[in-house]
Order: sequence, then structure tokens, then C-alpha cells
Amino acid sequence: MPHHLKGRTSIQGSSLTRWFFVGPAMLVVICLLIYPLCTTVLYSFTDKTMIRADFNFTGFENYTRILTDPDFWSSFANSLVWTIFGVLGQLAIGFTGALCLNRIKSPVMRNVFRITAIIPWAFPSIATAMVWKWLLNGIYGFVPVSLRNLGITEGLAQFFSTPELVMPTLIFINIWFGFPLIMVNVYAALQTIPQDQYEAAQIDGASAWQSFIHVTVPHIRTVVGLLVVMRTVWIFNNFDLIYMITGGGPAGASSTMPIYIYDTGWTGRMVGRASTASVLLLLFLVILCVLYFRVITRWEKEDDK
Amino acid sequence: MKKLTIAALMLLLSLSLVFANGSAESAQAADGELNGTITFWHSFTQGKRMEAVQAAADQFMQMHPGVTINIETMAWGDFNTKWNAGLTTGDLPDMSTAQNTGEVAEMLNVGVLRSVDTVIDAIGRDRFSANALGDMTVDGEVYGIPYYSHAQVMWYREDLLDAAGLDVPQTWDEFYDAAVALTKDGVYGAAVSLSPNDLLGTRYLNYYVRSAGGSLLNDDLTANLTSPEAIEGIKFWVDVYKNCSPAETINYTVNDHATLYYQGITAFDFNSGFQIDGVRNNRPDLLPYVSCAMLPRMNADDPLYSAEATHIPLVIWQNSEHPEICEAFIEFLYEEDNYTDFLSAVPVGMLPSISGISETEAYRSNEIVQDFAEEEAIIAEAIELGSAIGFEHGPSAQAGLLANQGIIEEMFQDIIMNGTPVEEAAAAAEAELNEIFEAMVQ
Repeated sequence: MPHHLKGRTSIQGSSLTRWFFVGPAMLVVICLLIYPLCTTVLYSFTDKTMIRADFNFTGFENYTRILTDPDFWSSFANSLVWTIFGVLGQLAIGFTGALCLNRIKSPVMRNVFRITAIIPWAFPSIATAMVWKWLLNGIYGFVPVSLRNLGITEGLAQFFSTPELVMPTLIFINIWFGFPLIMVNVYAALQTIPQDQYEAAQIDGASAWQSFIHVTVPHIRTVVGLLVVMRTVWIFNNFDLIYMITGGGPAGASSTMPIYIYDTGWTGRMVGRASTASVLLLLFLVILCVLYFRVITRWEKEDDK
Repeated sequence: MKKLTIAALMLLLSLSLVFANGSAESAQAADGELNGTITFWHSFTQGKRMEAVQAAADQFMQMHPGVTINIETMAWGDFNTKWNAGLTTGDLPDMSTAQNTGEVAEMLNVGVLRSVDTVIDAIGRDRFSANALGDMTVDGEVYGIPYYSHAQVMWYREDLLDAAGLDVPQTWDEFYDAAVALTKDGVYGAAVSLSPNDLLGTRYLNYYVRSAGGSLLNDDLTANLTSPEAIEGIKFWVDVYKNCSPAETINYTVNDHATLYYQGITAFDFNSGFQIDGVRNNRPDLLPYVSCAMLPRMNADDPLYSAEATHIPLVIWQNSEHPEICEAFIEFLYEEDNYTDFLSAVPVGMLPSISGISETEAYRSNEIVQDFAEEEAIIAEAIELGSAIGFEHGPSAQAGLLANQGIIEEMFQDIIMNGTPVEEAAAAAEAELNEIFEAMVQ
């Protein structure tokens, strides 16, 4: 075989090898991401139901219908409240916890504190839901009964059946459940900050607050930024906790977008409409993530300078 | 080239093995011996019932070594979702239970069931209640076999009624007054549970409307929530919720709801004979005070009626490759010993759907059956008089959809939480149901 052809065969061979390695991953992506995504977009333009095999293309009818449905907008508003307060709460408590953890000198105590604080995160969400449902039960729950016995409330507090209380209660549970993840990650980031930078700041006469703003924050903001992106998407899409505790009730007071989509698609069996709501949710999250990543990229560029 | 040849040979070899296996199965089937694998979905997730079914399956497999029965259990609430999803994915069983005859009507709407007339004839058609079979009959063919039956009756606590000097209510007005009077000292008169993920709101409204001679469906099978009796019924249950029920129950499903009565928190409840087993497991000390009566009526001199009788069916799916195994296994489940064992898992909760069982010594020797003979007779009468929700117009997919969409429950929540006027909320829910009927019914 001529020398130049031999080289080409070798390149072709290595190209095939590359495909061999990349192929399975691509297959997984196609099966688990591209196919469901395309199907959802396709169904969003149809009147497909779960129990009828045939369906018709209906153009933008589903979009018009969903966007004029008051339940969609109230679920969307609930999702925003649930996500914003959930992320901020988890961030505030997780961040504070990490700073406290970083201050503990004794390695033994630090481990004890770290393990204790991570317990909520270790619970499966079904256990979290059941425990809080039982603790806050408006008939025999420990918390409402204690509040009444202590004279703090007149009757039994109704955390899950009062529309004004249900969302704050769920957000509290979500913060309790999710702050350890933030804490552990921020704590890990804090460990990477060189100690000499704090010493230099101290020599320059910087206060504790100034050290925090000018040394700590720049070092951990990228990690925190990524955590915020992750938690935003996770919390926005969270379904199980709310579904298991209130099912979105009472009267939709705790219904978020995933609950709305589930109710439309599974209970109502309107697959077309549920797909439309899913596409809208996806678009919103993609836009949000793009904005987040722009900020994070800017921070990273600033760090590189 | 060499690799390609080897791959082709291996493919051929695999295919020949598959076909060889298939022809071997056919040959064995030709011998008359059952051979094959079936999947059986059921919702008997509680220990004793699950064990009874599993034991029967194990015994059947021992008798027929060529048969494998794969049992998959799932909660009642998940079953509907699972088979609905299976319509698209093809993941459907060979045979299954169904939640009620309403669900069988839904399955028939999409044409996924096989006729079970052969197995009914094998067991003895005249042993089944004609009403029960009628609920699952389309064009003269029966598509579900009632495995056990129960009906909704009013449960009360004798000790609480006696202490308050009250008689067992006969009318809705008497029920309401008694429930209000008993709401004190940590006890609630009655719970009104309204989670849209369950059917309790529909069930309660249906009691009231049926007692007034009405129906939640019109003759043309459209929804009817705006009739005078439906409006009155909605107002009645909203009042019961506000004055006798724990506020928490606005989000409760059937299990949460029933537990309140099991634990002695509610004085009245509406349910089947499962109440007895629930109280026995939670508060055995209350068991002597638990009893039931037929559902309240509008007027004391109105005839007795039953608003909801349920026959839990077994069905064979159209896609099954081994309907003969399903039929043989179902017939085996109804053999006296197997059937009595199964029913004894929840005595008085699950009443036999065929004659000739409740009189047997094995059945009657159960302590609970003996202690609650009166209650069993009341439930048996309610089974005889009643049908599934919406089935007063005959079996229809609309009847099933009426109960499992959560729309009536959302309507109740809207009225209670947002103060929406009853007539307005009822009209909106009615329109929503009719829209779903139109989209779903083929």
C-alpha cells in the first residue's frame, strides 16, 4: 500500500475508534434528552391525550389556551416564590453554616457539626415529607399542639390548610432539606482560600467584614454561582416534596409548575397541553440559566485577570 | 469480511434459538399443558391480601411447571397512571385488577380488554350478581370478573352517640345535627376530605344527589353539577366541612381520611367494611363500639337506597399472549379454599362476589365475620341495591372520568378556600368535566 494511503487509513481508523468511544454517550443523550425533547415539542402542537392513540395537529391552540389559563399563571407565580425564597433561604443558611464550620478549630467538633448538619440532606424526600406532615399535622401534629398548649396560638395552627401559610411552610421545609448541600460545597470552597491572603489583609489593617468582602467572596463566588444555578433548576422543577405534602392544595395555593403539568398530563390526561406547559417551563429555565452563566462567566474572566 | 461473516452467523444462531424456543412452547401447549409467562398487576399491597394472592400463584405454578406468573403490585392510585402510560409504551400486563367497574368502562373505551365470558361460565355465571356482571357488560360480552365486593355505608361510634343521647341518624339533617353535636373534646363529627388526588368529594356529593333521586350525569352522559339537588348537596358538604370536619382534611386522600376514624378522631365516616380492619389495627379498644347503617336519606320515610357499590374486577388484557393461562389462574383463584383465604385477609371488608362462599363453615368461622354479622348484612344489602358512581345510566367511560379527574374536589376547595359562589363553581366544574368527556370518550 502506498505510504500516503496508509496514513489516511490510520486516520480513518482512529476516527472510527473515536466514534466507538463517543457513540454510547451520544446514544444516551439522544435517547434520554433529544428524543423526549423533540417528542414534547411535537406533542405540544397536538391534541394528544393519554388514552387515545390518534391525535391531530392543532397549531398554537395549546399555547393560547395555556397562556390564558389563570391556573397556569398562579402555578408559575407559586413556582417563582417557591424557587426565589427556597434558593435564597438555602443560600443564606448554608453559607452561614459553612462560615461557622470554617471557624471551628477542633477537627473532631468540626466533623460532628458537619455530619449533624448534613442529616436533612441525607433523608429521602418521602421521609422528609412524611416527618414534616406528621409534625405539622393540624389535628394531632406535635408543633400545632405544642403551640396551642404554650398559649402561642388560640387553636391548632393549620399549616397545610391555610392558603396564606401553606407556601411559607413548604419553603421552610425545602430550606431545611436543601441547605446542607450549599453548606458542604461552600465549606469546601472556603478551604481552598490561601490563609496568607487573610494574613496580608490583616497586616493591611482590614476589618473582618473587609476581609470577607475582598478575600472570601471573590474566591467562592464562582462556586456559589454554580450552586445557585443548580439549586434554581432543581427547586423550580421539584415535584415530590410538594406533591407528597399538599398535592398542590388547598385550592391550588401550593401548586407549582411541575404539579400543574402533572395534573394536566397525568390526572387530566391531556398530554398535548402538558407538553405545552413543559416547553414553556423549559424555555423559561433555559433563559434563566443563560443569564446566570453570563454572570458566572464574567466573574471567571475577572478572576483570570 | 471475516468479522462480518462471524457476526452474521451469530445473528442467525440467535434467531434460530429464539424460533426453536417458540416452537418448543407451542408443542408443549399442543399437549394441553399450560406453558408460558404472564404478568399480573394487582393493587393488594397490604400484607395479608398480597400474601394470599402470592400463595395462590405459587401453588398454581407448582401445579403447572411450565407457567410463570410475574406479579407486580402497585397502589390503587398508581394503577390508573400505570396502565394509561402503558397504552403509549406498550408496557401492559396479561391480567390485572381494576379499581372498580368504572375503570373497566374506561379500559373498554380504549379497547384494551378481552371478554372473560369463558371463565365466568367455568366458575358458574349464575353464582355472580347480575348487577355486577351488568356493570361490565358491553354488547352482550362481559369484560371483568368481580373478585370481591363492597359498598359504602355510614359508620358511627355507638359509645359517642349513647353518651350524647343521640339515635343513629336516618336523614341527612339528623346526620348533620349529630355530627355538629359530637364535634367536641378532640373528636370531630365527620371528616370531609377533598384532595383532588382522590375521589372523596365526588363520592360524598354522589351520596347526597342519589338520595334525592338525582344523578351527577345526565341521560346523555354529560356532567350535571348544577341540578337543584347537586347545588344543595354541595352546600350541605361545605357546611359539614366548616362545622364538623378538621380543616386539615381539605388536602386528605382516602387513606389519611379513613385513619381518622380508625384512630377514634371522627365519630361518623362513610366507607365499606374495611373500617373494621382499620379500627382493629389502630384502636382495638374501640372495636366494640363500631357499627354501620345504610346511608342517610332526604326523609326518614324514603326507601332505603345505596349510592355506591363496588365490585373489584379482574380483567384480562387484549395484548396477552396467554389468555388461556390467565383464565385458568382466575378460575383457580375462585376455588373455595383459595377464595376463602383471600377474603379472610380483610373479613367483612371484602365480601364474596359469588354465591356459595358466605355460607361455608370456613368463611363463617372467622371471628370478625361472626362479631360483625349485622354489619355484613347491611353492606350486603347495599351491594345488592347499588352500583358504581354514575352507573345508574349504565356502564360508561364518563362515569369513570367523573370520579377520577379531581375536578369536583377542586370545585369544593375553590368554594371553601376562595369563597367562590357555589353556583358559579359548580357551573365551571361541570363545563370542565364535559370538555374532558368530549376529549376522552371515543
